[in-house]
Amino acid sequence: MKEKVVKVPLSVDERWDLIERISKQTVEFGARKHTLKDAIAELTVKPLTGIPVAIAVIYGFWSFFVDFAGTLFTDGFMVRLFDEHWLPWLQSVFPGGLGNKFYALMVDAGHLEEGVRVASDNCFEAFGVLTSGLFVVFGVVLWAVLAFYLMFAILEDVGYLPRLAVLVDTVLHKIGLHGYAIVPTFLSLGCNVPGVTATRPLETRKQRFMMMTLLAIFVPCGAQIGIMQDLVPEMMGWIFLTLAIGYLGFGFILNKIVPGKSPEIIMDVPPYQMPTLRNIGRKLWIRTSRFLLVAVPFVLLGCLIVGLMYLTGAMDWLAAVLGPLLMGWFGVPAETVAPLIAGFLRKDLAVGMLGGLMEQGIMTTFQVFTSVILLCIYFPCLATFALMLKEENWKEILGSLASLIAMVFVYGGLIHLVGIMLGVA
Amino acid sequence: MKILLMGHPNVGKSVFFNRLTGAKVFESNYPGTTVDFMKGWMRLEGEDVELIDVPGAFSLEPKDRAEEVAVKMLAENRDSVVVCVLDASKIERGLYLALEIIERGYPVVVALNMWDVAEDKNIKIEVEKLEQILGVPVVPTTAISGEGFKELVSKITEAAPVKIEKIIETAGGVSVAASAGEGEGGKSAAVS
Repeated sequence: MKEKVVKVPLSVDERWDLIERISKQTVEFGARKHTLKDAIAELTVKPLTGIPVAIAVIYGFWSFFVDFAGTLFTDGFMVRLFDEHWLPWLQSVFPGGLGNKFYALMVDAGHLEEGVRVASDNCFEAFGVLTSGLFVVFGVVLWAVLAFYLMFAILEDVGYLPRLAVLVDTVLHKIGLHGYAIVPTFLSLGCNVPGVTATRPLETRKQRFMMMTLLAIFVPCGAQIGIMQDLVPEMMGWIFLTLAIGYLGFGFILNKIVPGKSPEIIMDVPPYQMPTLRNIGRKLWIRTSRFLLVAVPFVLLGCLIVGLMYLTGAMDWLAAVLGPLLMGWFGVPAETVAPLIAGFLRKDLAVGMLGGLMEQGIMTTFQVFTSVILLCIYFPCLATFALMLKEENWKEILGSLASLIAMVFVYGGLIHLVGIMLGVA
Repeated sequence: MKILLMGHPNVGKSVFFNRLTGAKVFESNYPGTTVDFMKGWMRLEGEDVELIDVPGAFSLEPKDRAEEVAVKMLAENRDSVVVCVLDASKIERGLYLALEIIERGYPVVVALNMWDVAEDKNIKIEVEKLEQILGVPVVPTTAISGEGFKELVSKITEAAPVKIEKIIETAGGVSVAASAGEGEGGKSAAVS
């Protein structure tokens, strides 16, 4: 009989050996039954059936997003509430009136029509903190974010995302990314901040750097998508196509020039589960409240800063300085300087301001398209950037910024060029 | 006393957490990192006890930032009971983590979660036998439908630290071949 001295902690082998002994005595692996769950699991992973399922799921996701957030809440209810009741009411009761500086900041700056300052008749145009600011957050973006997170939580809890990742793995391998990349990308479509967080399971610095840079540049967030959908619904297809081409193309280039390895990621594919109402409700609450916590102050602050820049003449000065570059290289009017400034803080506010410019009729359709794309790619919003500062080291931050600047000029110029060749720019 | 909820990623830990805690939960950031974790309270024998949802970890030898945080949180909360959530259909790899926690001297309750999945896969686990070998409470649960939670909660106060030597003894010892085959110093030595 051997007497053993056990040293704690056990070695890895000893622990596995112990587990094997325990499991031999307590676990019995019977013949596997092929259950309905297994059948569904296979259908969604095998390419022949999985791709149509993926398309159907994404289409369903998008339809819900557009119909629930856009048509039902924003167009059906919020636009009317804000434009027909909130704005006129504020215009009538707020002290000061058109031309007053404080009134312009808070309610309505108005705009010049044949030399006469006239009041705005919708919340995109008004640019005030209490009008455009609140409208962007509570009229449009909140519903988009809510719809997105509801659908996302369901997909997450059912267990569909890892299967989608397995499905797109081969395609993404071609640009040096892995199927897992679909998870941070998808999540970023809600908000880039959790998207960046979701890059953590990536193993090497190269993978994380590539992923974060691609997310920050090419993936618009739910807030932005919501307001784009409200403003230019007919362009959404083209916008997503342009961004997707940029994402894949630039990913391919980054993979070639960034040093480091990109090892395969082993992913865990959990079985399908029935989602519980409680869990979904809780996730929805946490994510949405967190969104409001970030969005409300930033949007209102952004409104205020841009308003002040208009009032002090700083905006006109910037427009005059940057105008030639904007017009010459990107083919967009100097006035887009204002949304570009706002975009540092919040992308949804920036696109909303673009809406104001569109209402004034100073942009062609193609210019609107180019501006929307520029707003997506030129800088991640402040919250995302702050997180990247925490996640990346200074070398990587410089790398991200350099890629960003190069990308904006190359891709923005390219879009302009295509526009010129097509004769629409 | 605190309760730490630990387990692999994807074993239904967050559903578990939601089932156990009340409406007041906080998502916090682990200082100095970007890893977030959830914190809440549960009623245990008339008292409010803090429950922490530790980031998912495969083992206590950290391979990524979330695992690093998990190890640190465990070390910082010496007075905790650990509820170790296992995927019952992949019980062996879950036991690895559970044993590591037991070795460090924590009172552990093992939850065999995803019990329904294990049943689907026709995996039969003798819970009583497992409980007897490990010397800690073992409870089958299905977090999604809420089965087994009442029993789990009632077992938390029963949890007590167990010596790993005792587990090895009841399991029938560690084979000499496995440990001797290591050939490295510092591992357990078989003395005749």
